[in-house]
Amino acid sequence: MVIPTTLRDRLLRKIPNIQALDSPAQLAGYDADGLGYKRFAPDLVVIPSDAAELARVVAFLHRERVPICLRGAGTSLSGGPVAAQGGVIIHTSRLRAISKICPEGLWCEVECGVNLNQLDVALRPSGLCYPPDPSSGPVCTIGGNVASNAGGAHCFRYGVTSNYVLGVEVVMLDGSIRRFGGPAGGRGAWREDWKRLMIGSEGTLGAFTRFWLRLTPRAEKAWTFRATYSGLPATERAIHALVKHASFPVAIELMDPRSVAMVENSAMAVGLPKDHFLIVAEIDGPAELVDRRAEAVARVLRDAGSADVLFGDDSEMRAKLFKARKAQGGLLGQVSPDFLVQDAVIPKRALADLLGLIYAEAERAGIPAVTVMHAGDGNLHPNFLFDSRKPGDLEKVETISKRLMRRVLDVGGTLSGEHGIGNDKSLYMGMVFGPSSLRMQLAVPQVFNPAHQFNPLKVFPERRFAA
Amino acid sequence: MKELDHERFFEPFIDEVDGVACVPAFYADADITRIASPLGWRFPLILDAEAPLSAQVAASFSAPSSSRFGPYCDNIVGMNWELPDRRRVRVGERVVKSTTGYDIFRFLLATDGRFGRATEYVLRLRPACDGGGIVFFDGPQDSLESAAAELMHSCYIHWLESMDWLTTGPKSGRLRFGIHCPQDEWPLFLMHLDGIAKGRGLLTTVTTGNGQVFDGLPDLVLKTTPDRVISLARETAEYPGVRSIALCAPAVVHVYLPSGAEAATIVKGMVGALADSLYSLGGGWQSRRLECPLFGADEAEWIKSLAKEWGLAA
Repeated sequence: MVIPTTLRDRLLRKIPNIQALDSPAQLAGYDADGLGYKRFAPDLVVIPSDAAELARVVAFLHRERVPICLRGAGTSLSGGPVAAQGGVIIHTSRLRAISKICPEGLWCEVECGVNLNQLDVALRPSGLCYPPDPSSGPVCTIGGNVASNAGGAHCFRYGVTSNYVLGVEVVMLDGSIRRFGGPAGGRGAWREDWKRLMIGSEGTLGAFTRFWLRLTPRAEKAWTFRATYSGLPATERAIHALVKHASFPVAIELMDPRSVAMVENSAMAVGLPKDHFLIVAEIDGPAELVDRRAEAVARVLRDAGSADVLFGDDSEMRAKLFKARKAQGGLLGQVSPDFLVQDAVIPKRALADLLGLIYAEAERAGIPAVTVMHAGDGNLHPNFLFDSRKPGDLEKVETISKRLMRRVLDVGGTLSGEHGIGNDKSLYMGMVFGPSSLRMQLAVPQVFNPAHQFNPLKVFPERRFAA
Repeated sequence: MKELDHERFFEPFIDEVDGVACVPAFYADADITRIASPLGWRFPLILDAEAPLSAQVAASFSAPSSSRFGPYCDNIVGMNWELPDRRRVRVGERVVKSTTGYDIFRFLLATDGRFGRATEYVLRLRPACDGGGIVFFDGPQDSLESAAAELMHSCYIHWLESMDWLTTGPKSGRLRFGIHCPQDEWPLFLMHLDGIAKGRGLLTTVTTGNGQVFDGLPDLVLKTTPDRVISLARETAEYPGVRSIALCAPAVVHVYLPSGAEAATIVKGMVGALADSLYSLGGGWQSRRLECPLFGADEAEWIKSLAKEWGLAA
């Protein structure tokens, strides 16, 4: 969509000091998210200085009838915070205040542009923490986390973002500001719990400006474990036993041999056998409890068939044991011009079936695939490495993705566990919802954003903005 | 992309590997235990041993074991739902994590039956252990409160099945802890709690078991912040004959009225007195005795818009 060149001028007349970017060089950084090969140039980027200004911008853009897309750090992996139908991106990078930390009440109030590491540093002196920990933690914003209901390695026990959002402040399409919930995490005066629809809505219902988050005491001590397995059956035995173990692991992470080989063939090598599966697990809690449990967890890993189990309880050891898993994500961008990360959640007994399909399809198409998994949750991340400049590569990856998602649904899984649908998986939504449930889903944006002016073409392909 | 031309539903199942089970909404604790226990799993969020699960979910957001596992909406992951016009749909998933579409599942779960009813739930089960018990603290009220505050801010709170303040009068109460753990860890929990009690001159009473408590379905549920939950429970206990239980970590007060009371009238009076202070913190209330009113024209308009598609009566 090409918007009138006078829009910027009219906006500046209305809100004189607003930061507005429209030169090609300025806009270049906003045309994609972590799904780098799908690019959509916005017509204008606006950076409000606070929530009140953001509300005025939304009200102005609503009247001007242009598509509006909210964006935090842009680390989404599903094509969420991009201007898929052109229009204006509102960048929330200046809303970075941690307004209040209430240790007695175990909550904090933050603006949407606060990033996870910033919050973690601020919370340390209180002995409290905010547990969700997506891999992009050093840069991703809470706003993006809430919009996509982000997870992370430690959510197997601690839960995902929605488990920690007590309240949401939302700028509605007309520029009015609504609060759903608050420090107490209830409905407030509303009869219905509207924040449930807001969390994970991927910027399609309103613009988030502020959150109230639940905090929890930091674990006193953690033990981290690393085990390698020569085959999938032994790996599955280990995962199944850990999931049911009374130590309630906080994280159970899996890397397939191809991921391990990718790390070992890089400068990040940590000395793992390249043809083995790798499990990294962690338990945490009061020292006297976890110290007693550590040997039992190691025994589970050994009994499942690993002759190579390492574990430790200090931060240096933890960093060493997690090194391969953490290196994997960063390496993708170094070894391949493009990559696509899928985010299916599957019943864990279907792991062999799904890995078999991924390997077979990728091999047939000549597309390298490496897979990691938040194994406790069954959250599978196959990464397909390709070159979008090479004719046919992208089509091959999309064909594999479609077949994979079909099988995921057939075995009782779901399309996305923590990345959201964005415009990457929106075309698969018709396979998920039957006629009645699809109507129910589409009724939600109909309530708050009926013309789909907020973040069009995301979540459902039907969501096209008709100016 | 081929569109799905029919609705998908959950069929009754139990998945021993994932620890999830689809059960009828009328199942009670014994029914769930019967299918989960032989496989080493349990569903801990039980308020009342006899009541159907649907009645428990409608009665409160939380149960005592929400202290460890969170509210119902984090322990039920999907359901088959019958709309008022008798259409049936599936909402949520059979896996424990999903960001596929709008979270209609959690929204509906909290609607107290206004948009239809659940016919089956998919439960997230938890590993069953062979030990545990219930511990009570009694003694000076300020010492009890300081013990509660210390535990709320230690990572032991993640491992206590429940930590509840039971009112014994308008100005008095006692603390109750539920613990569900492997037999060999039970002495560690006892030692830790004993240390906290002794340092404050509190009396402890211990009974062994599995840590499960059944308080029954509350008449009124109040949601606040953890630092205000005990004082709120005390405030409600000032009403004649009223007994209250503060679930400390979830920050929920369960209010139980005396039998034979004019429930709706008492609830209305309590809500009238407490609502504003609850709302100011983004808290709230729910009651199986009294329907919550709509909040202004906006909410009425949003409901009307949903009603068109969701089969609600106008």
